[in-house]
Amino acid sequence: MSRARSGTPDPLGQDVDLDLFEGPLDLLLTLVLREEIDLLELPVAALVRSVLGEREEARWDLETISELIVLLSALAELKARIMLGEPADEEPDPDAIEARERLAARLIAYAPFARAAAWLGARDSACRGPRYRRVPVDGMPPPVEPGDPEALRAAMEALLAFEQPSVAHLDRQRASVPEAIERLRDALARGSEVSFERHIGGRGPIEEAVALLAALELSRVGEARLDQPRPLGDILIRGGLR
Amino acid sequence: MTALARAVEALLFLSPEPLSVGVLAELTGAGELDLDAAIAEVAARHGEGTGIEVAEVAGGWALRTRAQLAEVLDRLRDRPPEDTLSPAALETLAVVGYLEPVTRPEISRLRGVAADHMVSALVERGLLEEAGRDGAAGAVLYRTTTAMQQRFELKGTEDLPPVESFQLTGEEAGALKRRLLGGGHLGDGPQGDG
Repeated sequence: MSRARSGTPDPLGQDVDLDLFEGPLDLLLTLVLREEIDLLELPVAALVRSVLGEREEARWDLETISELIVLLSALAELKARIMLGEPADEEPDPDAIEARERLAARLIAYAPFARAAAWLGARDSACRGPRYRRVPVDGMPPPVEPGDPEALRAAMEALLAFEQPSVAHLDRQRASVPEAIERLRDALARGSEVSFERHIGGRGPIEEAVALLAALELSRVGEARLDQPRPLGDILIRGGLR
Repeated sequence: MTALARAVEALLFLSPEPLSVGVLAELTGAGELDLDAAIAEVAARHGEGTGIEVAEVAGGWALRTRAQLAEVLDRLRDRPPEDTLSPAALETLAVVGYLEPVTRPEISRLRGVAADHMVSALVERGLLEEAGRDGAAGAVLYRTTTAMQQRFELKGTEDLPPVESFQLTGEEAGALKRRLLGGGHLGDGPQGDG
């Protein structure tokens, strides 16, 4: 939400467009100083939403937001009272009057900054001409030395001639699920029931995991049935289902 | 030109920041009165008929280009389109300019809207900068930068018009209180005119 205030001497003398105000103070200051505008037009709910609802990402400190809520409440109370009217012989609510006095004080404190902003806006338009040096002395990049193309070529050749180091000495563990399936099928062909623990006896954890995948795969395709009588115990693999 | 004037001219030409008389005195070893005369000599050398002028801005003296040349200079170094300042940005700068150093919560409280994003944007644009921490709450304090004062051609924030000149007149403040305190009362309710 923004308003083209730059270049105008006084923001309080502008046309009022309720959609273009940034906050409750900005809007209310303009409204209350221009008596031709009825405070009944004040969109209190929209104002509360715009300040509190749509700005959830904003980090308010507790004191500020508490005060703002009090001000917005005073605004809502004022509008309600204007709408309903209050008999002259009725004692005014002292809390409501106090809240309104605080609201008035806040608006009076806020007004100079709204007007100073307008002054800065006008000044910004008037002072647009001069330009200043920008680059810090220490921040200037060092001059680039003219390069030697031959030196660049030699550097590139050395880089391109770099040989990949051999990794042949590194132990590669290979575990293939298809091979594990074949091994399990062979085991099941030798006997209708296979103990998983015996089947993987002495193999490493990767081969154990692959053997389990092989057993699950045979179970999935209906070639085997898995049975684990007790939790974390041995798995019995039964074949001959097809 | 005197040797001192030549040195001052060269220093102002080289420096990206305005140089105060104090700094010029440190750099040249000259006294302040001599420096005042040297600055006047440099300013006279860069008179109306030249492309550069001497200006007192942001707490010091600077060489800058003349306003009439902005169009041709911006062909060399474009001012980005986002360089315009929104009303919210101007209001935040006004609050900081008058109250610096000031914390974000104080800015939010005065403006009645959260100031976090606006302060961050103005810091990013080089118009505000951090100025330590508030002793009591530990919140970061902010102040205006040299770039801000150059932009608005201020010798310093003390060069802003007195804040009292922007206050509501007695009549305006009275009308404001009347509408807020007297609203909703029929007949002779409490009008709170003062």
